[in-house]
Amino acid sequence: MTARSVALPSNIWPPLIAALLLVGMWQGLASLTEGMFVFAGPVEVLGAIAGEGSLLLRSAGVTLQSAALGFAIGNGMAVVLAGLALALPRLERLISGLALVFFCLPFVATGPVLRVIFGVGEGPQVTLAALATYYTTYLCLLVGLRATPASWLDLVRSYGRGRFSELIHVRASASLPYFIAGLQIGAPAAFLGAMVGEFTGAERGLGVLSIRAMRGLEVDMTWAIATIAAAISAVAFWFFGWLGRRLGAGPPPLLLSPRREERKSLGFGALDLTLVVIAVLGLWIGLMQAFNLSPFFAKRPQDVLSFLVADAANRDVLLDAFWQTMSLTVPGYLAGLALGAGLAVVLVTQPRLAAAALPLAIALRSIPIVTTAPLFVLALGRGPAGTITIVAVMIFFPTLAACLEGMRRTPKAVLDLFATYAASPMQRLIHAQLPAMAPAFLASTRMAVPSALLAATTAEWLATGTGMGSLMALTASTSNYNLLWSAIMVLAVTASLLYALVRLLERHVLKTFASEQLAT
Amino acid sequence: MPDPLASRPPRVSCDGVEKTFWLGGDAIAAVGPLDVVFEPGKTTALVGPSGCGKSTLLRLIAGIETPSEGAITIGGATPAEVTKAAGLAFAFQDAALLPWLTVRQNVALAFKLARRAPDARRVSDLIDLVGLKQFADARPAELSGGMRQRAAIARCLVTEPGLLLLDEPFGAVDELTRTRLNAELPALWQERGTTTLLVTHSIAEAAALSDRILVFSPRPARIVGDFAGARHDPRARAGLIEAVAKALASEAELVS
Amino acid sequence: MTSFKLSRRSFVGAGLGTLGLAALSPRLLAQETKDVALQLSWLHSVQFGGSYIAKSKGYWSEAGLNVALNPGGPNAPVDPAVVTGQALIGISAADYASASVEQGAPFKIIGVAMQKNPFVIASLPDNPVNTPADLVGKKIGMALANTPVLQALCTINNVDINQIEIVPTQYDAAPLVAKQVDCLLCWQTDLPVAMAIQGVESVTMLMADHGYAVHSQTYIATEDSLANRRADLVAMMRGEVRGWNDYKADPKAAAALTLEMYPDQGLDLPTQELQAERQVPLMFSELTEANGFGWFTDETVAQNVETLGLLGRSVTPDLWDRSILEEVHA
Repeated sequence: MTARSVALPSNIWPPLIAALLLVGMWQGLASLTEGMFVFAGPVEVLGAIAGEGSLLLRSAGVTLQSAALGFAIGNGMAVVLAGLALALPRLERLISGLALVFFCLPFVATGPVLRVIFGVGEGPQVTLAALATYYTTYLCLLVGLRATPASWLDLVRSYGRGRFSELIHVRASASLPYFIAGLQIGAPAAFLGAMVGEFTGAERGLGVLSIRAMRGLEVDMTWAIATIAAAISAVAFWFFGWLGRRLGAGPPPLLLSPRREERKSLGFGALDLTLVVIAVLGLWIGLMQAFNLSPFFAKRPQDVLSFLVADAANRDVLLDAFWQTMSLTVPGYLAGLALGAGLAVVLVTQPRLAAAALPLAIALRSIPIVTTAPLFVLALGRGPAGTITIVAVMIFFPTLAACLEGMRRTPKAVLDLFATYAASPMQRLIHAQLPAMAPAFLASTRMAVPSALLAATTAEWLATGTGMGSLMALTASTSNYNLLWSAIMVLAVTASLLYALVRLLERHVLKTFASEQLAT
Repeated sequence: MPDPLASRPPRVSCDGVEKTFWLGGDAIAAVGPLDVVFEPGKTTALVGPSGCGKSTLLRLIAGIETPSEGAITIGGATPAEVTKAAGLAFAFQDAALLPWLTVRQNVALAFKLARRAPDARRVSDLIDLVGLKQFADARPAELSGGMRQRAAIARCLVTEPGLLLLDEPFGAVDELTRTRLNAELPALWQERGTTTLLVTHSIAEAAALSDRILVFSPRPARIVGDFAGARHDPRARAGLIEAVAKALASEAELVS
Repeated sequence: MTSFKLSRRSFVGAGLGTLGLAALSPRLLAQETKDVALQLSWLHSVQFGGSYIAKSKGYWSEAGLNVALNPGGPNAPVDPAVVTGQALIGISAADYASASVEQGAPFKIIGVAMQKNPFVIASLPDNPVNTPADLVGKKIGMALANTPVLQALCTINNVDINQIEIVPTQYDAAPLVAKQVDCLLCWQTDLPVAMAIQGVESVTMLMADHGYAVHSQTYIATEDSLANRRADLVAMMRGEVRGWNDYKADPKAAAALTLEMYPDQGLDLPTQELQAERQVPLMFSELTEANGFGWFTDETVAQNVETLGLLGRSVTPDLWDRSILEEVHA
């Protein structure tokens, strides 16, 4: 998985100094750009927090409540799905495929639909928080439930106990570190989901305040909200790490024992694909019928099909927007991966710097995209640069954190071996640390696919007004729901296919670099 | 700088070597003080209770750790100079194979790390010698523990270092293979003229392979027994084994 | 026309009193109170001040209606809420409503809160846009989606749109303040107000003064409701009319009420007061003076149909239905 719990470095000075430097730079930038209504420095942010303290506290509380509920539901769903996948191995690929497709649904489009289904209240906030959380936890659990040394299972069987005991005594505890890792990734995502949910019409909350602040040119307030959201997300991240350590779950262990019996065919065959497509269509129609959703806005697959087939102009509108979005997503995605991995490599040759950077990277990656997107566009302008940067930043921090963590897991004995030949740092990097980083890097590459599309469409929606994000948001004024559902379909299919593609690549590489991690 | 490999095989000397680790504010003496000289071209077995600091001594000599007090010289050079010249090789207890490389690549890695042109022929020969011919293109995850240790030994020997540091190299090797390796490998390193330090649990192995056996005390490691080995004299082995075992047992009593 | 002149304090007292009454009324009038919803088009603000007055003064509860005011937002659906019956009435706009109708929504516009469309071209005083002709050679910041709006303004005023440089921006004032653009396409009642509160004076050219006739903040209801729930619609609209008439009499009080009812919205009083004041001329005209709040005529509808045509909407005067208002103002 991309994230693992990270123990507080025994020396807290490097991160502290780095944080102080960052705050200093932030304040400097804010002072330089004063009067442009772009940056607000730490001083202004503290001022805004002090001035509107009780309002911010109440609003954060409301959003946190939705996020926490959604987080609980999402992780509950993940546990159920992972349990099902384990109990019914034949259905695993179907479950995983469906889980992925639903995870790839764009927030911009699902939000309003959820609002119509739930009406007034917290329904959409909670649901989006759950949707933002469940998939990563599901993946972590799937790896975790399988990351059981064969000897442990043999031990249970040698006492004549069955699969249930196996699950309770061995698999559950073996998967705890992975579950914790899933919770850590999920916590900031849940908060983001709750904030986006508030955009669909909420009475109160941090999301509501952020819209108001952005529109009202209240730069101090906008930055204060971004800071609070980031702080809450970071605290949640650390909290679950701490909880994991309290429960005795260290970072998920790297298993180096062969597990051949789990390594059936690796491909996701045509049959699986067909099954997933049928299931998605079935759920699409079934859910709409079950909730009795009005055909005015809840378009069925057949509506979308006839919309796309009937008029070439419809396809053109969609494709234009699609390419526009992809032309920003792909460079941002690649840049984010390259910068994240690149900086990790630079940092690992400077261990002190790395100790400082890891906690910061983890804190910064928790900043919700809805609050940062407009800030970046403000700073970088509305051209492609702004959106590409947002996508890159969205991917940069998780990649950096995962790669640093991956390299930290270079086996100690291997490093000793290199020491006995007085190997140069470059040799150590090329022959030991980079290969050790590969699984973590590839996992980020995969998880970054939905994040990149989310970041791009969010930026387009909130800031630049171009591409798929804007197209979907515009449905509110045009009521062209066929177009909206076509866009949802195209984005979900794109994200799922790209994800699957990266996964294939990952498996291919993992076979070489870490066959033990091929559990999913 | 003098050539750190000028004397081959090298004499290894430890002068007042001490190693102290710090664990949460507590000083833990792991080694020494220790004064000992390992003669060139000789094989010395180090035996002692588990966790007594034998491995730490090897790591000090290999330059992985630096002594808290005293100095170590290898053929007149420091461990750092020797490692830079790839003058020593270390066989780790857990083999330390790179999981993403095949056996062949792992063995050949030693050439890369020693900054020398790889000798594919020699790599193959050594893989054959340790009995891994059929597994040359397997990855470590596909090997048993003993097979991994054999691959690690092949990697140590492939660059023909003047100093071999072997930390329980046969710990996980099965008895049959162990006997064969015990018969073949020492010949290999001894004919090339290699100073060898061998940490082992097996007194019989120590007696059969070495020119000298040092018995260590519980932590911090100090020499409490110094026996001539019985490498060339199979008939003397039984008596030697008994004497070493007795020395070890008295150390164990000291602990309890 | 009713006109209350109250100090803020007594107003608040009255407001709280009626709130108390409203809280009791479901029990007192259990048989007669009906839950209905009004779907707002945006987050709570004084933009809907008249509705807040109607609610707090009990104009709806008197008629046996318990009206929920559902907030909108940047990603909030209005039209679907009305189509699905979640809201009896929605606050939409003539252009949105006509698009929905084209997509098969069975809507009618039953009232018009904003007689004049609030779209303005906002610029800074040292480089002002006072007439559509001033747009030539300027950089305008706007959402690309609003290009038809600018196109319509240009067509009406014989300006070549190709001589205007459109810079795609989202909806905020920063690009103008930072002088990345010369002017912005925005609403009279939000970005210019925000700029003014931040101490940035701006020049605004109301597009409605230059022929852009699109009713905004319109009340929409389904044909089904018009046929079967007329009494509720009339009661809702009657409350709205009374609320907005109170609003006109004292916009500042409406701003204060907004903050009081929605303390968690992050609103500040000066902004709300300024916004409240600036939207009065958009909502009240000679037409409403003569016929009452929300009114429209065949003539204003015809102007709308024409402008909407320029926006690419094929719409007929059928979209407007004045029967509810006629009953309210009878």
